[in-house]
Formats: sequence, structure tokens, C-alpha cells
Amino acid sequence: MMVARWASKGSTLLAIGLVSVVFLPVLPGLVRMGFDFFQISHWLAIWQDTQTIPALMATLGSTLISGVLALALSLSIAIEKYPSNAWRSIVKRLPILLAMPHAAFAIGFAFLFAPAGWLARAIAPLMAWHSPPDWLTVQDPYGLSLGVALAIKESFFLLWVMMNLLGERHIAQQITVARSLGYQRQQIWRSIILPQILPRMMWPFAAVLAYSLSVVDMALILGPTTPPTFAVLAWQWLSDPYPQLQAQGGVAALILLMALLIFGGLLRGVAWVYQRSTVDFDGVRLPNRVSIMSWLYQLGAGISFSLMILILIWSLAQSWFFPALWPDELSVKAWLNADFTPFKTSLWLGLATSLIALVMVLIWLEWGPQRNNAWLYAPLILPVIPLSAAQYFALLYLHLDGTVIGLIWSHLLWVLPYVLLSLVGAYRQFDPRLMLTAQALGYPRWQACLCIKWPLLMRQILSAFALGFAVSIAQYLPTLFAGAGRFSTVTTEAIALSSGGNRRIMAIQAVLLMLLPMLAFALAAIVSHWQAKHRRGLR
Amino acid sequence: MKEHAKKMNKFLPNLIALCLSSTVMANTDWNKIEADAKGQTVYFNAWGGGENINAYIDWAAVQAKKKYGVTVKHVKVTDASGIVKRIKTEVDAGRTTEGSVDLLWVNGENFKALKQAKLLYGPWAESLPNWRYVDLKKPVRVDFSEPTDGLEMPWGTAQLTFIANQTTVKNPPRSAQALLAFAKANAGQVSYPKPPDFHGTTFLKQLLLELAPDAKALQQAVSPESFRKASAPLWAYLDQLHPVLWRKGSSFPKSAADMNRMLADGELKLSLTFNPNEAANLIATQQLPKTAYSFGFSKGTIGNVHFLAIPSNAKAQAGAQVFANFLLSPEAQAKKADLTVWGDPSVLALEKIPVQYRQSMQMTAPGVLSEKVPTLAEPHSSWVAALEAEWLKRYGAK
Amino acid sequence: MLEIKSLCIKQTNQALISVLNVQIAQGEVLTLMGASGSGKSTVLHWMIGALDPVFTATGELKLNGKRVDQIPTEQRRIGILFQDDLLFAHLSVGQNLAFALPSEIKGKSHRRQVIEEQLAQIGLLGFYDRDPATLSGGQRARVSVLRTLLAQPQALLLDEPFGKLDAVLREQFRAFVFERVKALAIPTLLVTHDIADIPPQGRVLQIEDFQHA
Repeated sequence: MMVARWASKGSTLLAIGLVSVVFLPVLPGLVRMGFDFFQISHWLAIWQDTQTIPALMATLGSTLISGVLALALSLSIAIEKYPSNAWRSIVKRLPILLAMPHAAFAIGFAFLFAPAGWLARAIAPLMAWHSPPDWLTVQDPYGLSLGVALAIKESFFLLWVMMNLLGERHIAQQITVARSLGYQRQQIWRSIILPQILPRMMWPFAAVLAYSLSVVDMALILGPTTPPTFAVLAWQWLSDPYPQLQAQGGVAALILLMALLIFGGLLRGVAWVYQRSTVDFDGVRLPNRVSIMSWLYQLGAGISFSLMILILIWSLAQSWFFPALWPDELSVKAWLNADFTPFKTSLWLGLATSLIALVMVLIWLEWGPQRNNAWLYAPLILPVIPLSAAQYFALLYLHLDGTVIGLIWSHLLWVLPYVLLSLVGAYRQFDPRLMLTAQALGYPRWQACLCIKWPLLMRQILSAFALGFAVSIAQYLPTLFAGAGRFSTVTTEAIALSSGGNRRIMAIQAVLLMLLPMLAFALAAIVSHWQAKHRRGLR
Repeated sequence: MKEHAKKMNKFLPNLIALCLSSTVMANTDWNKIEADAKGQTVYFNAWGGGENINAYIDWAAVQAKKKYGVTVKHVKVTDASGIVKRIKTEVDAGRTTEGSVDLLWVNGENFKALKQAKLLYGPWAESLPNWRYVDLKKPVRVDFSEPTDGLEMPWGTAQLTFIANQTTVKNPPRSAQALLAFAKANAGQVSYPKPPDFHGTTFLKQLLLELAPDAKALQQAVSPESFRKASAPLWAYLDQLHPVLWRKGSSFPKSAADMNRMLADGELKLSLTFNPNEAANLIATQQLPKTAYSFGFSKGTIGNVHFLAIPSNAKAQAGAQVFANFLLSPEAQAKKADLTVWGDPSVLALEKIPVQYRQSMQMTAPGVLSEKVPTLAEPHSSWVAALEAEWLKRYGAK
Repeated sequence: MLEIKSLCIKQTNQALISVLNVQIAQGEVLTLMGASGSGKSTVLHWMIGALDPVFTATGELKLNGKRVDQIPTEQRRIGILFQDDLLFAHLSVGQNLAFALPSEIKGKSHRRQVIEEQLAQIGLLGFYDRDPATLSGGQRARVSVLRTLLAQPQALLLDEPFGKLDAVLREQFRAFVFERVKALAIPTLLVTHDIADIPPQGRVLQIEDFQHA
């Protein structure tokens, strides 16, 4: 009995210990940056820099656009199509759209919308262009193209969140009841459904805002250059040799955090007003209006799919100059000479990170504290830059920078929360009586987990693994910081090549970048399918 | 006289013996370095924005492994100043021996920053066995007016060169003023990379050299007064130039490599590079149309030498030296100069190297800079930071 | 009158319901009985226009002579009551009812007055501003019925509405519903698996009669 109690205490400590190893070492670096935060000289320097205000405007602008537009797009398609056959096919296509890494999406977006890009070439005959127009379609100074690209990508994420919320049966029944009362879908959503789902979408929406505020990889490709977005500016300062500018970068990173908190506060305020707003139903049943937004969503999804094809074609194109709509020559020569080292690096890094994260999360979910877990999700909301920089300080101190262990550790900070998020729902809803039955049959807890609980949750575990893998693949700044430049992954490689002139080799890396998460998800689906082949209860 | 001759007779053999023994000593020193280098891994931090450069470095790495047992890893860098920062951060944090950078492709202000902060290992460059091939007539001992003191090894030469397309530009501009007129006539189709990209900064320096009232002041260290006087015409020029640039100067190309792509797409009429053979190389790899050609300014363009340096906290110092020595060898330099490989001109003297390598250093092909463009000396390195800061202040946010 | 003509419901080539024909007169409560999972609710879903996409259905539905199976749910004027009360949790009791009240009754205060009167009639005087979650199960069920009927439907469907109530409440609630339906004289289809739910002298259909292999 005593042994059992000590064993369970020990396991709890183990769970806490493992997770703390991932999170705690970041704190000293953050504290150090905090000291810089209170020095007026840095604030003055940032204020006096002419780049600051335009950079902030671009960042805030792109964030607002991406947040509002993503929400509008995902809501519109849900309102229009839920819960019909069309909805099912839209939802079926979501995993691929979600799995496409942001960096690859940005590269493809640039391919499509740049003045020398495919779209311009398509309308060139109509406009009688002999050379690409002098338009700022991508990299515009207000961050509009960045905002739109982010919006499309984030709309898939918000839709996925909504899909999980709408899966509850009573929502569909409420819609049926309201329709039987004579109301049409748009009004039903406005009056009945949205007030119920929107409050539960606050955290995912905050995550969307957080990502848009602090994104660096997409901003490098699609964001403005003079000056860049504030996140990129903070990163440039942090990477500068002058210690003055480095400290400035740290302060800038914390300014981003402040901006996020302000946005969060505004969001809360809007939510409060929304929930307090009095509803006076006058009984008027309003007709549906044409929903342009839902068409725009479909357009966004269509664009995403065509981007994948476009990138693939670019990787095979020998020479493809404006205004040719199709490459002059297709060949696999570039593929044969391609550098697969980044691919291999991403592969082992992703596998190692998500495996370790999975083990940690399973131990945590089983033996860790059951409540007050919210702080584990912090990396999903916080800006990347201060966290990565703090990680680098810790690694430098421990002489682990540029090592494999250091790199895996740094990725864990983001992979772990996503894996946890993905598993926690199914884990908590697992019927406790199954475990009780196993234990009553004489199996100790850890054996019951291995033989009963985890195999039963295999589908969710595999998809959490695939998600963790995809998150590791997509990491940009952490790889640069913690890897000390020694490791190049497909993501860092693709982005480094995007500032060069050779689209071919960049496209090859982008294709590899897209391939990796898709392989992971496909593998997860195949293995779960194989496991459930003779066991219908698992499906 | 006879006594004098007797003394000489004794003196000369001793002198010869001394020379021989020092070469023997140098040889044994080098043998030790080669022995130490075997099995080491050298992290070579070099700009990774050029496909041809990366391919060349890959080739060199294979050779280094085969010949000397040294593993070379190319760390692709986008901006050398970030590496300077990394080295500084490491040394500040107490990492004085196991640094993450072993060999660094560097020049100009980055070299100066490292040298001043005493972050460089050496001197080592002139004790390399292959130093004997180096063309001392080229400015291989001075980097942006800063003496190298043997702390960095010359790797290749560079000269600011412009590229255009025969089909669209038959009479290219050959001076700063001509460029301004050309930009006005071709509004929206001329640009340059945003400083502090080193191509962009060099473009600024080129304009500065032409427009500054007193060119000699540029060879001295900068002061607020001299900066104001010298750069005033430059800013006036740019104020006229920017409104007619690509995107009206509100956005700039990410790099010179990107400009080459835009030239090929017809988005820009001019591109620039540091490598006089770059256009030929790009034509050969089908990244530029066959009608592309290189040209320079009639009064000359900036030329310099680029170098390799070893940080003071490098882990694989022996390996770095051995690899650098290989890169300095006639074989490696010839391959580098080969237009179909990279086309970066060599620092070696033609007459000093074995005959079989001379041909690739004298190759010519369509697109190569065929005219003789005088080389202008770089301004003092301190002007770079001042130029970049002022440019950023005036045009960094539009 | 509510009429179903030749209803056939299939699920991927397997017939669930084969050729159902039925007529329900004004004020009549027809009970459709069958075991759990036999497809009774599917028929209701078809009638209300919310058939699950995995099913395909052929047949006609006519309400007072007008064909309604081709028009959207919101235009059919058929009310439905489920087993769960499905009161909208973010609205008060009165707001739930106001949602259903037709727009012909105009004026904020007038509408409120009408609703309060209706609430009094079902024994919930003064409940307008109450949070539905604070009501007992029986009270919520009554509000749910009231909401459905306030919309002035021309027919009513009941999908095992008494299932969640305990025995005592069940009887009271049953009587309440049937009395209301009679007063409004609308055709009603009740689906249940419990014999006790059948109204006195009410017609009964067994769903198994319409399920041939």
C-alpha cells in the first residue's frame, strides 16, 4: 500500500520532472530579457528608429486582417454548408490543407501572386504586358498580402476547431428545431449557434492572432521589406553583432508580447459586450443572403491545392521566364542533383522530437496533475522570438548549442503542447471503467496502460504523433537559434533559398517540405486503419 | 677584398642552411597541422545564396575528405554579420575554445569588427604552403584599407559588375549619372538590393566614389564631418533615383541573386553582381537568357578581394587551415575560376602556377565581362556602417 | 391534414422503410411504434427536412393539400419536439419563446405581454427572465412544447418527447401535450417505443409493417 502510494507519487514527480525539463530552462533567458525591458535607453532607441512605426503598422495590419478574415471565412463556410454532404467533403479535405507547412504555403503564394508569377502571366496577354507590371502584389508595405495568405491558412485551422465543436449532436438538433420554427440558416447561426460556439473559440482565435503577430518565416517571404514587419525587425536586431541592438531586439520581442496581451484584452472586451448584448427577437424571419465569404473560402482552399501543384511544376522546370505559362522544359535533373541533407535532418529531428514528446505527454496525462494544466499551452500563444532567444541563452550556458540534444530540446517546447492539445480530449473522455476492469483483473496501472488504454487510443495517439511531427518540421527560428547554424532543415533551407534567384532548387526544398507532414499523417491513417481492420469498435 | 670574399663564403652557406632549415621547420610545422587536422570536422560558414557556390564548396569538401581526412560542413549563411555576432556572443559567454564556427568567408567591415575585438586566430595565412602561388600584385594584404596582418587568407577577387539583356538594353549606362538618366527613361525597371545586403552596400559605395567631391577622404577613417561632406551628393542623387526605381523605392529586391531572376523575367533591366563571370555561369545553367551580357562603368567599378578567416575560438583550427590551404591550391582555384563551375576569379598569379591550370583561369564565354574595367579601391571600412545607418534612416521605412 | 405518400427510405441500397402511406387528420395524434433504432426517427427527420445525408428517400409529403417535401424546413410550418428540451442555453426562458413567436405580433411590450400570458397558462408565471438551466426537467419540457406551438405550426412531430421524464412527470406532460394539440387541431405524429404513450383511442402504426427485407 505504501509502495503503491510512493510509486504513484514518484510517477507524478516523474511526469512533472520531464515536462519541467522542457519548460523551466527557458525562464532564465526570459528574466534576462526582462531586465533589458526596463531600460529606457532601449525604448528610446526603438522609438527613434524610423523603421519602428511602419513595421508595427504592418504587423498590426496583417494580424488584424488575418484574424478577422480567417474567422469570417471559416464561419461563412460552416454557416453555409453545415451539416450537409458538401460539409463532409470540405471537412475531409481539411487535414491536407492543415498539414501544408506555412513556409511552403508562402513560397507557393509568392509563386502565384508575384508580378512575375503565374497569375500575372495568365492575364498578361489580356493586358498586353511584355514585362511584369510594377505592382506590389506581394511584399507590399502594409502587409496586405501577408495578411491574406495568413488568413487563408488560419481559416483552415479555425474551421478544424469549429468542426470539433459542431460535432456535438445537440447543435445539429438545435438547428433543426430552429428551422422548424421558420428560421433560415444564417439567422439561426447569428442568433443561436454563434453565441454558443464563439466563446469556445476564443483561445484558438487568440492563438491565430499570436501566430500572425510573431510570424517570421512567412513574413520574410511575403511581408514588406522596407521596413519588414515588427517581428522580423525584432529578429534582425536580436541577430546583430552590436549588443545595443541585441538588447533592443529583446525589448522588441517583449513589445510583441505586450501587443498580444492588448489584443487579448480587446478580444475579452468584445466577447463581454457580445455576451451582454440584449436580444430582442421581433420574430421576423429573415431570408438568407448570398454568402460571398463562403465562396471566398472555397477559393482559398482551391488556391491552396493549386499552390502545391505549382511548386511541384517549378521544381521540374528547366527555364521558365515571364510570360511563359508553362515551363520551356521539364526535367528531373535538378531533383537528381538535389541536396537531400536538409530532408534527412528534418526527418530524424521530427521523428525524435515527436516520439519524445509523445512519451512525455502520455506519462503526463496518465500520472501528472489533472488540473491547472493551462500553462503547458503557453508556447502556443506566446511569440516565438523571446522564447527561442531565451532557449539559445540556456543552451549556450550549458554548451549544448549546435548539438543534436539542444536542437531536439528546443523543438520540444512547441511540439509538446500541440501533442498534448491533440490527445487531452480523447484521454480525459476515456471510460475509466475500462482501466478499472483491467486493474480488477490484477494488472498494475502501467501494464493496464500499455495493454489496454494506449492500444485503444491508438488512433488518437498516432494522429497526435503526426501532428507533433508536422510542428517540428515547420519550426524555423528555433532551428536557427538552437542549431547555431549547424543544422539546416527543409524549412530553413527553403526560406534561405527564397532570397536567392534560383526558384528551381527552392521549389525542390518546398516540395520536400510539403511531403514530410503529409507522409506522417498518411502513415498515421494507414496504421490506425490496419489496427482497426478486424475491430470495428475502434473506428 | 679577399677577406670580404672569405666572409661571404662562410656567410652564404650558413644563409642557405638557415633558409633550408626554416623551410624544413615550416614543413614539419605544416606536417603537424595536417596530422592534427585528420579526422576533424570543419564548420565552414559561407554565404549560401548561390547555387554554383554551394556546389563548388561541396566539391571542395569531398576533396578535403579524400586528400586530408578533413570533414567540411558548409553552414549556409545569409548575412555574415550574424556570424560575427554569434562568435562574439560565444566568446563573451566564456566559450573560448569550442566555438561553433571554424572557418568564415568574410571581408570588409565584418573582418574589421572581428579583428578589433581580437576574435581572430592567427596570423596563419602567410604560413600556408600554397601562399607561394599568391599574386602579391593584387591587394591581398589589405581589406577595405585595413591590413590583414595574415589573419585572413585571400580566396578570390571580386569586382562590381552590371548585367543586362541585349534584347532590351543595347546601350547600357556607364556612369552614375548615366544610370540616373537610364532609370528615368526606364521607370520601375531599375533597382538595387536593400542595404545592408553587401551587394546593395557596394552599389552605394560605387555611387559614393563617383559622386563624392574628394575621393581621398574616403580612404581615411570616417568622421561625422567628412561623412556629411562626402555623402551629401549621394543622398541628393538617391532622392532623385528612388522615385523612378522598381516599386518606386518602397520595396527592394532581396538580393542580387533575386535581381538576376527578375532580369530574366524582364521585371528589371539591370542586375548587378560581384563576380565578373557570373552572367556566363548563369547562362550556362539556364538561369539567364543567352542574350545577357556584363558591363562596367567607364571610369571603373569597385573591386576587392574576399577572404577566409578563422575565429579565435574555433574548435578545428588545424582542419580549417588545411582546408583553407586546399582552397588556395592551383587545382581548387582553377576549378573555382572555371566559368561552368563558379567563375570566381583567382587570387593566384598565372605565372606562378603549373601550366595545366592556367586555361580555366583565362576562360571566356558569352556573358563574361569582356571589356577591361578599371578597379577602384574600396573606401575605408568605417564608411560602411555609416553609409548603411544613414541609408536606413532616410529610406529604410517608406 | 398531413399525408405521407409512398415513402421509401434507403441507406446505400438497403431499404429501411418501404412504401409508407399514411394520413393524419386535424387534431389527430397518430402513434408510430417500433423498437429502438428501427428507423422511426429517420421518418421524422425526413418529414422535417433534416434527413441525414447517408439516407436517400423517395415519396411525397402533403400538408393541407400542399406538397412540402421539396421545400426547405423553414417553410414547411411543421413543428418538432425532441427528447432533449433543446432550450437555447444563452437565452432566457422568455427570449426562447420570443424567438418562436411570429413577427405578426408586433411591438416589444405587446410581444412580452403575449408571452407572459402563455407562460401563466402553463403555470410558469413570471418566468420570462429566468435562465433555462435553473428550471426543473418538467418545467423545461413545458417551455419547449410552448415554444414549438407558439410558432403556430400546421402539423407537429414528436420524437419520443417523454423519454427523459420520470413516470409521474411523464403522465402529466403527456396529458398536457395532447390537450394543447387538440385545442390547436393540428395533425400530430408521435414516435415512441413505449406503449403507455399512446393517447386514448389513438391510431397506432407499427414500423415493422413497412420494413420488408
